[in-house]
Amino acid sequence: MGLLTILKKMKQKEREMRLLMLGLDNAGKTTILKKFNGEDVSTISPTLGFNIKTLEHRGFKLNIWDVGGQKSLRSYWRNYFESTDGLVWVVDSADRLRLEDCRKELSSLLLEERLAGATLLVFANKQDLPGALSKEAIQEALALDEIKSHHWCIIGCSAVTGKNLLAGVDWLLDDIAARIFTID
Amino acid sequence: MEAMAEHSRETRVTGESVADKIQERLQKRHQARAEDAERKKEAKESQSVAEEKSEYFASTFNAEQASIEELLSSCSGADRTVVTQTLEEATVKTLQLQKFLNDSILFLTQYELRRAQDALQKLLASSAEIREEALPKKKFAFRARSKATDKVSAPPVIDTPAGTGSTKVVGAPAESLQCCFSNMDNVCLIKTAEDIHKQDVLLTHLNNCKVRLFGSPSTLHMTHINNCEILCGPVSSSVFVDQCSNSTLAIPCQQLRTHNTTDTQVYLHVTSRAIVEDCHGVHFAPFTWSYPTLDEDFIVSGLDRDRNNWSQVDDFNWLAAGTPSPNWNVIPEAERKTNWEL
Repeated sequence: MGLLTILKKMKQKEREMRLLMLGLDNAGKTTILKKFNGEDVSTISPTLGFNIKTLEHRGFKLNIWDVGGQKSLRSYWRNYFESTDGLVWVVDSADRLRLEDCRKELSSLLLEERLAGATLLVFANKQDLPGALSKEAIQEALALDEIKSHHWCIIGCSAVTGKNLLAGVDWLLDDIAARIFTID
Repeated sequence: MEAMAEHSRETRVTGESVADKIQERLQKRHQARAEDAERKKEAKESQSVAEEKSEYFASTFNAEQASIEELLSSCSGADRTVVTQTLEEATVKTLQLQKFLNDSILFLTQYELRRAQDALQKLLASSAEIREEALPKKKFAFRARSKATDKVSAPPVIDTPAGTGSTKVVGAPAESLQCCFSNMDNVCLIKTAEDIHKQDVLLTHLNNCKVRLFGSPSTLHMTHINNCEILCGPVSSSVFVDQCSNSTLAIPCQQLRTHNTTDTQVYLHVTSRAIVEDCHGVHFAPFTWSYPTLDEDFIVSGLDRDRNNWSQVDDFNWLAAGTPSPNWNVIPEAERKTNWEL
C-alpha cells in the first residue's frame, strides 16, 4: 500500500459521518429514514431491532442508524452510541400524552458521555397532522433551551410528505462538517 | 695533520662527556621508571577498593541476609498492617542485596556467586510464602453480577415517566382537535364521523363501557380500559393500547401498538404490523365489524382494504425466532365473535 493509497483512504474516511436516529416509538424514525432514501413509506412496521442505511448526500457518506423506540428496546440504545457524529431525535408532534416521556428520554441521552461530542437535531415530526404541536411548542416542552452541552437545532417536518427533511439533514451536516472536518 | 690531531682530541673530550651523559640519562630513566611503577602501584591501590575482596563481600552479604531473615521471622503472628510493613522493608532490602551481588560479580568466584544467588532465592521464596500466608490474595473469580441485576437497574429510568408523566397533556391550544372520553363507568358511548374525522381520539379510564366510533380518526389512544367493548372505524395511522384488560377491540389501522395489556381480544385489520409489548393473553382475529359508511371511511383513512396482516404480530418481549410467543395467539375460527349488535 503506497502513501497515496493511505491518503486516499483517509480522505474517504473523512467524508463519512455516523448519524444515530432515536426517539420514542411511533415517532416516525423509520419513515424519515425511508423517505430520505426515497423508499415507500406506507408499509412500515414498528421497528423490531434497528435499520441501517448508508447513503450519499452532498458528497458525504452518511451511515444512518435507526434504532427501534419501543420501551423494551430503549435499554439497547446505548449499544449504538459509539463514535456518533450526529444525534437525530425524532418527536411525534401530535403525541401530547408522551411529551414528558420524550423530554426525559432525551435529557438522559444528553448526559451520555459517548454522545458528548455529537450534534443534536430535533425533528418535530408529523407537522402534516392537524393535531400536531408547533415546533416552538415542542422546543418548550422538551426544554431545549436548557441544553448547553450540545449544538442543537429543532426543525418541524413531515416524514410522510418529506417536508423539511432535507433542511434538517443539511443543517446537521453543516454543523458536523464545521466541527470535525478541515475545510478543503 | 694538525687538524686531524685536534679533531681526535676533541673526540676524546666529547667521548668522556658522552659517557657521563649516558650515565646520567640512564640514571634519570631508572628513576622515572621507578616513579612510574610507584605511581602505577598507587593508582592500582586507589582503584582497588577495600570492598573488592571476597572476604568483605561474604561478610556483608551474610550480615544483610541475616537481617532480612530476622525481619521475615518477625512476621509470624504479627498484625496485618505490621506484616505488610515488614514485608515491604524485607523486599526493599532483598532488592538492595541483589544489586550488591550484581555489582560484585566481577571479582567473585563462580562458587561464591552461586552460593549468594541461592541464598537470595531462598529469601525471596520465604518472603513470598509469608505474604501468601499473612495476606492471602483474593482468588480471581468472575463476580456474580448477573445480567438480571443489570436489567433491573436499567428500567426505572424508563418506567417512571410512563407511570407518572404520561397522563400529563401538554399544549392546550390545539386541544379542540382531540376527541376524548375519560373516567366513565357502565355507559354506551357513540361518536359519529363528524366528531372524529381526522382527529386524535383518546379513551382513558373506562370501565364496563361499550364504545362505537363511526368514522376515521387520525390516531386512537386507549389507556386504562377494563371490561369494555370498543369498536372503531379505520384509523389512518397508529392505534395505541395501554393498560387494557378483559376487553374486546375491533379496529382497522396502519399500525397497532399494544402495551401492558392482558386478556383482550382484538379483531384487527392492520396494513403494516401489530406489536405487543409487556402483554399477556392477547388474542387476535380478523376485523369483521361493519357499519353503513365503513367503505367511505376506509377511503378517507387511506388504508389498503386488501392488505391485512392481523396474524403477524411482533412481540417485543419474545425475540426467539421460530418459537411462537406465549403472550398472544389467534382466536380459533369457531370462537370468533360475529354479532356486533349493541
